[in-house]
Amino acid sequence: MVESVPLTWEEVARVYGRKIYNFAYRLTGNPDDAHDLVQEVLLRVRKGLANYQPGSFEGWLWRITRNAFLDDIRKRKRRPTTPLPEEVDRWDLASTESADDAYARVTIGDDIQKALLDLPFEFREAVVLCDIVGLSYEEISQAVAVPIGTVRSRIHRGRRILKETLG
Amino acid sequence: MTHPSEQISAYLDGELHGKELNGLLEHLSGCGRCSAEMEEIQNVRAAVRSLPVLELPDGVVPDADAAVLPMRRNRGLWVGAAAAMVALVIAVAAIVTPPPTAVSVDDLSSRFGARVSLDPAFSPAKVVVPELNVVSE
Repeated sequence: MVESVPLTWEEVARVYGRKIYNFAYRLTGNPDDAHDLVQEVLLRVRKGLANYQPGSFEGWLWRITRNAFLDDIRKRKRRPTTPLPEEVDRWDLASTESADDAYARVTIGDDIQKALLDLPFEFREAVVLCDIVGLSYEEISQAVAVPIGTVRSRIHRGRRILKETLG
Repeated sequence: MTHPSEQISAYLDGELHGKELNGLLEHLSGCGRCSAEMEEIQNVRAAVRSLPVLELPDGVVPDADAAVLPMRRNRGLWVGAAAAMVALVIAVAAIVTPPPTAVSVDDLSSRFGARVSLDPAFSPAKVVVPELNVVSE
């Protein structure tokens, strides 16, 4: 857990940008939505750093990320939904490997990604924050604003559903 | 028998301590059902954690000095609008651009001068310019 505030907005972007992108991608299954969410979160972080109170930076950051995601969902209720793409766009692949290798690497987890998207949001969020982002139950509890017991329950129930889906 | 199912994930995540941890371990030693569930949950947990870490695409992190972050939302709408604008410009250009009518021999000579000088077999006596549908003799 990081207890000190990163000094600058740029450091937040550098240290957490990829984590936020992966969180958003695994939650939405859509690279465009993940792209937009990272930018929205960084904008909110930039505005919020001035008023940040020392504490759990991870909890603060992921609360912002979660709120940005939920705000986006509320906006989307007024717009047609974007279907899950059948394939992962090639532009989101690392530039240090060949496109084919990188594409194969990303699409390996397609069945898992689709199973994640079938989870109820609360379970998906808890599983992604735990297994993708790597937060502790305490940090997830702070980010989602629910008791640790609820976090524990959501993660386990999410995994059980995943087991049935993937089984 | 009460099965402490939800404690299994917490145990796998290193989030179970003290009495709860000892209680689960004792239970697992005598409960085949919970042992089997733990193995299944462990596999699912490993599968999710095996998902590849995606790199940030270029341009996601905006310029720190930018006053306004670039908005990519509704890009389909903008692409459509841009395509419509391009189509409109082409249509207007087609209306206002006069069609080629007359081409002087001097114009043609200047256009084909290089070919004349390089190709002895080329005769400037009859020049056909298909795209202009003009024959100059």
